[in-house]
Amino acid sequence: MTTPTAPDAMYRNDEGLGIWEHRGKVAAVGVGHAPTSRRWDGRPETCVGAITIDALRKAIDDAGVPPDQIDGLVVVPVTTTGAFWEAGKPLPMDVIQSFQQTDDPLDGIAKLSAEWLLANMPELTNVKFTMYGPGCMSNALNVTAQAVGDGLTHTCLVVKSWHNFEGRYYQGGANAGDALPGTPAITQLWGGPASYSTALQFAEYCRKYGKTHDMMAPFMENSRRNGLRFPEGYWAQHRPEELGPEDYLASRWIAKPANLFDNDIPIMMSGAYLFSTAERAQDMKQPPVYILNHASSNTRPRSLVPTLDEVEADTARTGRKIYEGAGITADDLSFENMYDGFSLFHQFHLEGLGYRGIGFGDALDFYQTDISIEGPNPVSPSGGNVGSGRSRVWMHTDCIQQLQGRAGARQVTGVKPEVGVSGGPMPLGGNYTVWSASPD
Amino acid sequence: MTVLISFDIDGTLEVGDPPGPLTMDMVRLVRDKDFLIGSCSDRTLSAQRAIWADHDIEVDFVVGKHMLPDVKAQFEADVYLHIGDREDLDRQYALKAGFDFLWPDEAVAHPHFQADS
Repeated sequence: MTTPTAPDAMYRNDEGLGIWEHRGKVAAVGVGHAPTSRRWDGRPETCVGAITIDALRKAIDDAGVPPDQIDGLVVVPVTTTGAFWEAGKPLPMDVIQSFQQTDDPLDGIAKLSAEWLLANMPELTNVKFTMYGPGCMSNALNVTAQAVGDGLTHTCLVVKSWHNFEGRYYQGGANAGDALPGTPAITQLWGGPASYSTALQFAEYCRKYGKTHDMMAPFMENSRRNGLRFPEGYWAQHRPEELGPEDYLASRWIAKPANLFDNDIPIMMSGAYLFSTAERAQDMKQPPVYILNHASSNTRPRSLVPTLDEVEADTARTGRKIYEGAGITADDLSFENMYDGFSLFHQFHLEGLGYRGIGFGDALDFYQTDISIEGPNPVSPSGGNVGSGRSRVWMHTDCIQQLQGRAGARQVTGVKPEVGVSGGPMPLGGNYTVWSASPD
Repeated sequence: MTVLISFDIDGTLEVGDPPGPLTMDMVRLVRDKDFLIGSCSDRTLSAQRAIWADHDIEVDFVVGKHMLPDVKAQFEADVYLHIGDREDLDRQYALKAGFDFLWPDEAVAHPHFQADS
């Protein structure tokens, strides 16, 4: 079985598509997370393949589904945080030989294939549908929801994992070569930090609306506070450190006005979910969380860096697609978990959604109000990447757990959790999911 | 002679992530020699303070990586020394701020960290 990458037809990129045809008929049930770590320590049991198996098995157990009833697997094949296995570095044969192998010796160490996972999870005896959702969990969730809705699979696992090796990230791979092919020859040649384009957009945002970087501090403090209540996350597990205004504002610039904490910390992690049809989900161990819609943005900027005007136009367009397909309005959102890694674009997503009625240029003022999980306007109750490390997964896990009423110390209390939205990554180019405690 | 030592944390001190070769007892040793000491790290200021408090070590400063010039402006010393494990974030910052620099392994063997010198 060769696993294909999801075709374009599986995504809802356009406005005017109407209500999603599978609205309320697909559900997320099980959640599984492996322990996090800052970097791989070289042991077989902590390689990215091993932690992925751990997360998948936890999701299966969490849903209470016998493994032989699972017939689908959606995987994000890329696992790098920006760290690559150096060319010429000896392969870790002891690790490789600890697992069933594919043709690629770095499968399970620096990447993941569905074939590797199935070879190393013998309990998955009936998987007949596999597909890749490229990039991040947000993408793979769209693929999974559509696949279940379309009947390609009825009980489907979806997983995203990240590996992080020693050394500096984004210093290896193509960046370490003598030549860069294609678009990266222009976008990466000059060595700008990954956050530089977001920093440029944020700088223009501050100029246009008369705001300052200091106004981000309440959002950062709130996000880390929520993250420290996320037991699956890196900061909660390893470094339970608050991120108060003094801490945040004293940090050095990475790409001014993006400072160190506006950039998320790369980690090893794996997160998995079990999706099913709404009908089958009724008999599972956890309450179903229904998918009301998925929507995507595949907008291409006119030049190397999207301008603020392009960002605002596209986040507004994304907001309209999200609401249209779900058959809801901004007023129906109990909370939002839009992406934050880089923190400086979270407000673009918020304003595009019109969350709590805010418009363009309003979000930083909104951050000065009560955005806590105890208040009426919870912002990023997951804490996102700021709160738990680079994964692009926490936001989705939080939506599921909030709506199942098992977010623990992170549970929103200022509003009744009924409908949430999550997704990203970038303001231009992302995938989004609308989650609901009820199918209608 | 007044000596000021700035310690990086991760990869330098034993409590860092990853742990470094300098033990907290070594830090106490230079503290007892009346050196001015503190930390200069990408960890938050509050996290740096918490580390020192957890080990009952009183420090003179905690700063971010980019704040060594502020330390030099604040304290008068005959020797300004930064110890860290990164070329870009420790050595280059230190030299630019007018500090001497030692890698952690060099520091362990340096007379500053010997009890009888």
